[in-house]
Amino acid sequence: MGGVIRVQDLWKSFGERQVLKGISLEIPTGTTYVILGGSGSGKTVLMKHVIGLLKPDRGTVLVDGVEIPKLEGKELTEARRMFGMVFQQAALFDSMTVYENVAFPLKERKRGMSAEELRKRVVEKLAVVDLSESVLPLYPAALSGGMKKRVALARALIHDPQVVLYDEPTTGLDPITTDYVDDMIVGAKQKLGVTSMVISHDIASSFKVADRLGVLYDGQLAAQGTPEEVRRSEHPHVKKFLSLWFEKQ
Amino acid sequence: MQKIRAWFEDFGNMIFFAGETLAWMLRPPFRPELVIVQMAAIGVGSTFIISTTGFFTGVVLALQTNYAMHQLGAEGYVGATVAVGLARELGPVLTSLFLVGRSGSAISTELGTMRVTEQIDAMETMAVSPIQYLVVPRLVASLAMFPLLTMLFNFVGYVGAYIMSIVLAEIPAGPFIEHTRELLDVPDILHGLFKAIIFGGVVALITCWRGFAATGGAKGVGEGTTRAVVTSSIAILLVDTAFVLVTVGAGKR
Repeated sequence: MGGVIRVQDLWKSFGERQVLKGISLEIPTGTTYVILGGSGSGKTVLMKHVIGLLKPDRGTVLVDGVEIPKLEGKELTEARRMFGMVFQQAALFDSMTVYENVAFPLKERKRGMSAEELRKRVVEKLAVVDLSESVLPLYPAALSGGMKKRVALARALIHDPQVVLYDEPTTGLDPITTDYVDDMIVGAKQKLGVTSMVISHDIASSFKVADRLGVLYDGQLAAQGTPEEVRRSEHPHVKKFLSLWFEKQ
Repeated sequence: MQKIRAWFEDFGNMIFFAGETLAWMLRPPFRPELVIVQMAAIGVGSTFIISTTGFFTGVVLALQTNYAMHQLGAEGYVGATVAVGLARELGPVLTSLFLVGRSGSAISTELGTMRVTEQIDAMETMAVSPIQYLVVPRLVASLAMFPLLTMLFNFVGYVGAYIMSIVLAEIPAGPFIEHTRELLDVPDILHGLFKAIIFGGVVALITCWRGFAATGGAKGVGEGTTRAVVTSSIAILLVDTAFVLVTVGAGKR
């Protein structure tokens, strides 16, 4: 299974505002990398570059050797099949049932797949996120926040992507659900061997799920490495950012 | 100055959006099932409001025309006048304006909500074009349903005018129908239906675009819908005027 991500010297500005100032990082196959940072630090901008929703001013992103910013139209659509993305608010289609939501990416990509095969795949992926068949006919409005996240992950995994991107997966969830979502991210990595990129400002859950971690501050990675290395970082902002949480422990 | 620039930029983006939609319309996969769902939402769902408004438009038009014609002693021409008026002008324009209020606003709100809750971004990351999946079916359905509903409006309006004229104003039924046959030609009806198709396309593109361009939260969606309704209504009248100036102004019927 592939899915190695390389970000090389990435720069991006919006008007006068320089959001990313030379980001470089590497995520080996089958590992989880967490980008930790406060609001407005450019985390989402960085992630949108990885999946090709934004184009950089300078630098590049390579996923499995494919240079994402250079792709357009059909090639980009093709490349996006490597990815699954879990959005902050789950972004489930609210006019569709859970079944239709999870089946959607597969149904649209492999038109002509039999209904039984499709259903089998949906049930299989729901099992990965610990959901039973009973949720299939429900609409997203009837689900709790945690369940929505799980359905969103099942939808992101349905086409067996090599890379899963998580946009603030635990924001706005209670501690128990947060813990559950963390387990879900770790579980997806262990069960399916996917490469994961998580952006978050939740320190506790970041340290729990990360193999490697980068702290984004003022458009640059102020520290990166294993959770232990980042914890020992001498960078003043990183120390301040982390101390707020570690002091509480 | 800033505002004018922003306006032109917005307009340019909309034209680009329209071009993209047309390009996606011709590319497979085609999704007839989604078009049918939209036809039901835009068309079948609007039959009640279009019939009601059509009926009363016919009634009022007959009464007003009768009032004018009576002074000329030409009551027999009420039916013909109403029929031509409906077919060429009031049918397509009023139907489209009512559809903007009923279906156009719904399109804008639905797509706007999908935009601000990241559902459109999600679709894009799943390698499905949101324009092809969401906009194209609404455009195709509008192109088909606007003229069909205009036909309904015209028919019900004429029935309303007939009932009002024969029953209330006591105009003889013979001349009412006879003069309509004489004066209402197929090109009159086609003129109106052709305009309805154009209005359908314009309304679908504007309301979808406003939905796609929504930002922020509930407030942004609301503002987008308001702008969609205002822009569509004005666009209908502008396009109508331009169309009439070109065709009738050039000496054609």
